[in-house]
Amino acid sequence: MFAVLAVLPGSPAQVILGTQATPSAVHALSAKLGLDQPLWERYARWVGGLVTGHLGRSYISGRPIAGQIGSALQVTGPLVGLGLVVGLAVALPLGVLGALRHRRPSGVAISAASQVGIAVPNFVAGILLIIVFAVALHLLPAGGFTPWAVAPVTAIRSLALPAVALGVVEGAILSRYVRSAVLDVLRSDYLRTARAKGLRPAQALWRHGLRNAAVPVVTVLGLEVAGLIVGAVVVENVFTLPGVGTLLLQSVQNRDLLTVEDIVMMIAGVVLVVNLLVDLSYHLLDPRIGARA
Amino acid sequence: MRPRRMAPLLVALLMLAVVGAGCGGGSASRGGKPTTSGGARGGGAGRAGSGTSLTIGSQVAPPTLDLTSNPAAAIDEVLDYNVYQHLYELDPAGKLVPVLATSYSLSNGRRTYTFTIRKKVRFSNGDPLTPSDVVYSLERVTRPGSTYPYKDLMSEVRSVRAVGDDEVAVTLSHPDWEWLFDLAAYSDGVVLDPKAVGRIATHPVGTGPFAFKSFTPNYAVTLVRNPYYWGPKPQLSEVTWRYFSSADAENAALQSGQLNVIDNEPVPQDVARFKRDPRFQVIDGRTNGKVQLSINNAYGPLRDKLVRQAICYATDKRAIIDAASAGYGVPLGSDSVPGDPYYLDLARTYPYNPRRAKALLARAGYPHGFRVTITLPPYSYAQVSGPLIAAELQAVGITATIKNIQWPLWLSQVFAHRDFQLTIVDHAEARDISNYATPGYYWNFAHTAQVARLLQAGDEAPTRAQWIADYRQALRLITSQAVNDWLYVLPQLTVAQAGLVGLPTSGLTESFPVQYIRYGGHVPAPVAHQGYSS
Repeated sequence: MFAVLAVLPGSPAQVILGTQATPSAVHALSAKLGLDQPLWERYARWVGGLVTGHLGRSYISGRPIAGQIGSALQVTGPLVGLGLVVGLAVALPLGVLGALRHRRPSGVAISAASQVGIAVPNFVAGILLIIVFAVALHLLPAGGFTPWAVAPVTAIRSLALPAVALGVVEGAILSRYVRSAVLDVLRSDYLRTARAKGLRPAQALWRHGLRNAAVPVVTVLGLEVAGLIVGAVVVENVFTLPGVGTLLLQSVQNRDLLTVEDIVMMIAGVVLVVNLLVDLSYHLLDPRIGARA
Repeated sequence: MRPRRMAPLLVALLMLAVVGAGCGGGSASRGGKPTTSGGARGGGAGRAGSGTSLTIGSQVAPPTLDLTSNPAAAIDEVLDYNVYQHLYELDPAGKLVPVLATSYSLSNGRRTYTFTIRKKVRFSNGDPLTPSDVVYSLERVTRPGSTYPYKDLMSEVRSVRAVGDDEVAVTLSHPDWEWLFDLAAYSDGVVLDPKAVGRIATHPVGTGPFAFKSFTPNYAVTLVRNPYYWGPKPQLSEVTWRYFSSADAENAALQSGQLNVIDNEPVPQDVARFKRDPRFQVIDGRTNGKVQLSINNAYGPLRDKLVRQAICYATDKRAIIDAASAGYGVPLGSDSVPGDPYYLDLARTYPYNPRRAKALLARAGYPHGFRVTITLPPYSYAQVSGPLIAAELQAVGITATIKNIQWPLWLSQVFAHRDFQLTIVDHAEARDISNYATPGYYWNFAHTAQVARLLQAGDEAPTRAQWIADYRQALRLITSQAVNDWLYVLPQLTVAQAGLVGLPTSGLTESFPVQYIRYGGHVPAPVAHQGYSS
């Protein structure tokens, strides 16, 4: 990643100085930013910084990158979290209902609805939500973000439409997995035994089925968190939220390469942690996994 | 039974743990260094315009707040004239007005400007303005290691000194008719508080009607009324600029009431619907932006003046304005816009005439045309006019291929390395004809020395009339050489909610002055005369 960004055409110094730049001014600024040093030296400095917790300063604004990412995460973190909540709120009931009624018209309708949800890109969903809820009904803001410290309620209102745009699409995808996992469980022997013991279908599913169905769903959920972070990059731009996605895109456009590198590393770290949690969750969900190991 | 009932709950908790992990990075990094601007305190997402607050939508966010180290127009738009002031400034009508100076006199063969500094002026932090602050600010432009983006415009300054209690004398190495304009128009002229300069990139301090409040990078800048302001108190108590990367989102924010103003509508075609809607007003203002088909004068067939003239004859400026700018914009024929003292209307030098273009190409030895590439930066004016120009060139036999590139690549490939054939770009700087006197400037004009001689003669001319005559001669020279194909003056299309008055009616300054904006009522006649909407 570092090497790819390093060979990206367009120098940060040239971008800063724009069309007023003389070659000597560009050279001087490149030297000041440390961009004239060999690639391996810059790489070593960057990795050293990451290890010691110093993310460096933005080439363009001169501000500490850690602070910028920290501010942006106050938007993106809750957005991804709310998006996941919306996604689960859509996926769990729809998936379970779809499985329980999979041969009935209502089950087919749920499947069709989830297919439509998968087909709609989240930026289209975002624009539709803006047109309906912001421009026509004036119920929620069309974009922007009020910081938590200023007005927490308004902050949540700012994130409502983006979280729905983000979550509905992910929820539609997830509901397909929930449906197929629950279907598998419904056909299993132990559930038949539970029914034979006298439990009603819903009771049997609630007590014995959901925990077993959760293993494949949690696996997909881990992957979906990465999808939500990527989706947030797009949704933040539709709703003009000052989050990590906006910061990343602006930094790419401005050739603020150090910021880009730091953000990509941060996202990679989050995905790793989520995957670790998913792996750990298997043992809790299904003790047989640990026993087999 | 009890443990069994816990199982589904555990599942839910685990899922929440995964959710938490998604946000986990947030809480970890929040403990990191705070943002130097004091954290996110951008504009609210609620309804804008509560009577004394105003929210302006804009497209390009300031990369930093230090206008003395970065030429980004977005910094000047917010801070110049609103937070920082100059000795003299330009009003939206394009005229020089005294601000921190009350007057000036010329002596020493037009080489020494003596400014009388306004009294009882304070910076927004309460510090009083003194002549030594002015001396400090002007010397900061030219001292070694200066990062001012336009410092070359001040290179003729030989000395700056305070005279008595309330005067500052600036001596130039040679007379220059443009010097005071440059001081007013560019960030070289901002007067700084020496005690606050250390934090200029995060906490700008000036003498203007507004004081800096907060900055959320890529998102918003907020200004508040300066309690120490020496002039008439602005009606607005708070002004926020909000930045949008998408024109649709910006328009939706204006329509839903989150914005009061869009400083410059990014897609001119969208203006029509705001014009039809009685809730909004549209101001069609002039700018210094010259949209041009820049020609690499050192590339193959384009070296030939006849070929360049043929390209000029082949392009229909009116059609390009209609397509790329929804009909807004003035056709151009040289590197000067209406309002410049030396402006000449040369737009009809090469009227649209494909037959003439073909004849010129044949005379130049290209009866069957040639192949050429048009490199386009990612801006709407270029993206729309590019294919149209390619079709017009095709009609006279020149096969043009479009190549779209990002702005950083344009800067490095086209501007720095001059590796291009044709490109469409807006030259936004005011009175930038000296680019044609700069050897090695990206379009590789061969006769820079000739232009330089004319401009120097003009600068040193004893009378203003002679200065204008010399500059006009330079304009005629570059137009006759068809150095570039100048297309039109980029308009500033301000869309605002109906009832707002005091908006600037032009983009002739880099600043978007907000001092006189008010909800309802009228602006005084002298203010309206300066180019503020009434």
